[in-house]
Amino acid sequence: MLEPDAHDLSDDADYAASVQQGPVSITRNDSLGRSSLNDPEGAEVVYTKDNVAIHPTQFASERISGRLKLIKQGNALSMTWLPYKGQSSNARLSEKDKNLYTIRAVQFSDIRSIRRHTPTLGWQYIIVVMSSGLAFPPLYFYNGGVREFLATIKQHVVLVRSADDANVFLVNDFENPLQRTLSSLELPRALTPMCESPTTPDPDKGELDKSSNIFQNGRRQKHHEARDISIQVLEKFSLVTRFARETTSQLFGDSQYDSYPSNDGWKNSALSPAPKRITSLDNSPQVRDEVPVAADPVEIEKLSLVWGKPRQAPLGQEEWATFLDAEGRVMDSKSLKKRIFYGGIEHNLRKEVWRFLLGYYSYESTFAEREYLISVKQLEYDTIKKQWQSISPEQAKRFTKFRERKGLIDKDVVRTDRSLSFYDGDDNPNVYLMRDILLTYSFYNFDLGYCQGMSDLLSPILYVMRDESESFWCFVQLMERLGPNFNRDQSGMHSQLFALSKLVEVLDSPLHNYFKQNDCLNYFFCFRWLLIQFKRQFEYDKTMCIWEVLWTHHLSEHLHLYVCVAILKRYRRKIIGEQMDFDTLLKFINELSGQIDLDSTLREAEALCICAGENGAACIPPGTPPSLPLEDDSSAYPQLDDEIL
Amino acid sequence: MSYAYLFKYIIIGDTGVGKSCLLLQFTDKRFQPVHDLTIGVEFGARMITIENKPIKLQIWDTAGQESFRSITRSYYRGAAGALLVYDITRRETFNHLVSWLEDARQHANPNMTIMLVGNKCDLAHRRAVSTEEGEQFAKEHGLIFMEASAKTAQNVEEAFIKTASTIYKKIQDGVFDVSNESYGIKVGYGGIPGPSGGRDGSSSQVGGCCS
Repeated sequence: MLEPDAHDLSDDADYAASVQQGPVSITRNDSLGRSSLNDPEGAEVVYTKDNVAIHPTQFASERISGRLKLIKQGNALSMTWLPYKGQSSNARLSEKDKNLYTIRAVQFSDIRSIRRHTPTLGWQYIIVVMSSGLAFPPLYFYNGGVREFLATIKQHVVLVRSADDANVFLVNDFENPLQRTLSSLELPRALTPMCESPTTPDPDKGELDKSSNIFQNGRRQKHHEARDISIQVLEKFSLVTRFARETTSQLFGDSQYDSYPSNDGWKNSALSPAPKRITSLDNSPQVRDEVPVAADPVEIEKLSLVWGKPRQAPLGQEEWATFLDAEGRVMDSKSLKKRIFYGGIEHNLRKEVWRFLLGYYSYESTFAEREYLISVKQLEYDTIKKQWQSISPEQAKRFTKFRERKGLIDKDVVRTDRSLSFYDGDDNPNVYLMRDILLTYSFYNFDLGYCQGMSDLLSPILYVMRDESESFWCFVQLMERLGPNFNRDQSGMHSQLFALSKLVEVLDSPLHNYFKQNDCLNYFFCFRWLLIQFKRQFEYDKTMCIWEVLWTHHLSEHLHLYVCVAILKRYRRKIIGEQMDFDTLLKFINELSGQIDLDSTLREAEALCICAGENGAACIPPGTPPSLPLEDDSSAYPQLDDEIL
Repeated sequence: MSYAYLFKYIIIGDTGVGKSCLLLQFTDKRFQPVHDLTIGVEFGARMITIENKPIKLQIWDTAGQESFRSITRSYYRGAAGALLVYDITRRETFNHLVSWLEDARQHANPNMTIMLVGNKCDLAHRRAVSTEEGEQFAKEHGLIFMEASAKTAQNVEEAFIKTASTIYKKIQDGVFDVSNESYGIKVGYGGIPGPSGGRDGSSSQVGGCCS
């Protein structure tokens, strides 16, 4: 047998980088708790299991075997499943397949539940469901050992058996009754009756058969009944798995899967009624009052094994240096952006790298050119600033618009992030800097002027740059893209809200229909998210992280819309189940501030973006912020009347 | 806690007139000079008692800037009461009342009760709008009127409660069909002992306004 190897990923630069970064790099270390997450020294393998396999197709013979590990690092536990190198039960499974299924350091804090299946016939397997509702493909324990696996987990994280289903183990979320309810309601429930009592005739079987058939194009085989049922379950998942692979393959421009049925079947399945999954709901006291919730279209969504990649450690100084040539040019801006997309940037490096992401520095510029740019831009800033500084009190008396603008900015800068020490206290110079920059901007872009929300966008930039002119120019760049958010006619906001409604229609039509029926299609409840780029949704440091991820435009310029969809989908059951009307929904969304985990949200957004593919891109009208405005606009900021400040 | 009725309020008026501070003073009985400006809408709630009936006020605090009007308008839907606020030290906030009122008349329920609030009356030395002018405007437009100070709490309680009493009286007079929630009124089960208790079991004071 070939040696199982964790380094079966030579063609994956991201993974190689993440190994270097630490979280998944494994060294045995007996010392306790002296390491941080970023410290590779602290990792300890607490569980290893060989011959754990994934079935990428409906045929168990086509399996990918690998090694499952639990890794403890500080207080954090993570799970990896790495396929064996060079070993395949079937020639059709390429090395690339293996990479697609590889589970790289999933943190248990991101896991919602683990369902175990121990059928009397067939192999034991587990399904790991993420907090997002996304699930990994079933992991088959060919040598048994699910019990030991769960027992090991229990030694390191809180693992609670679901009150509703003895085969579901909830991870960490016992504190939140809501979460607990949701966890226990996750999709695999639909399959429970069949797994637990395979010989009992199941009323849902026919339904499941039907949907399975869609995917199999009539290739279904006859089995012994008991086996048949469990095989259906396996097929259900494995077909999803194949979908995942195909989608992902398309993404990577891989066309080697022509031999498979087209995935049109999947599209149909998304529209067809999902298998009944309520069978055991009657037993659940928590949900007895719930209104039936429309099934998620892509039942896939739960099983939607297209999961976002694990988040990496932020880009640090040393790694940053490797992206630059001797004169300071960024050699491969695409890789850089991709790297930032998956990990963000260490805080002390933001000052430098944000200028590239925002387009203030060009990637091709050298150290010397950038130094020159800074000095030129400083002079230019001073010139614009003088325009309003030179307005005398006498002149101001006759300049209502200026007075109003200044008054508004004065009022707002003292109401922006004052709880941060950087902006707190009386006569804080940073507050005055913010005022000066905004006022200068309102002269630089007189048509757009000043609008509430801009100070929220400027605040983190100034906090990072710590320089007036540099902050100004970075803000200018950001406003090139987000300026239309502040158009008087709100056109930028409306085009985003429209695109969002289209995306939800594509990615979750029952939720879309629910909004439609309840007069919520204007999506105003997402207004604040979009206007200030989730600034008040996440904590300050998380906001900086999501911004730099969005600014990479990796995968899509409009990832922020997929972030919205990801959050809405996460709460779809609550929204629909509680029959929220517009008011209730708005209040509910408002109160989510600070409640949402960023990393898992980004991963879900990534997965949704990949899932939606071109259909998603087609939902977004050209010129929708943060796309640069269309060329033929005669004025970038059409204003309707003179009242604007 | 159960309630007999739930009234939806909306607070409108120019930016910086003290809408969020009035709400915070009413819900939390405190004045917070340093708070974030409102983007979109914020919420507050409090229980009050009118004629021995527990009434829950759910209050929507909106962003004041002109640019957001098209969004703000969607919040009028189903409001039973509105606090239309201006700043007695800034004349222009008084001058803009007409356009706020137009918006309200156009997008809100015609029976919505509107309370005109001249805020910051603690700053009498900087007064730019006289009490008489406020009274006159209210009279002309059929509004209730009060001067108040979110800072000192003067008349804050009164403004919210007076509005509620007026709405309550309209219910008694049969102006509203309370079974129709578009009037911004929900009927609870307050005062009627029963297994189900209040409709939404919220506590008497929920959150503040300024986040």
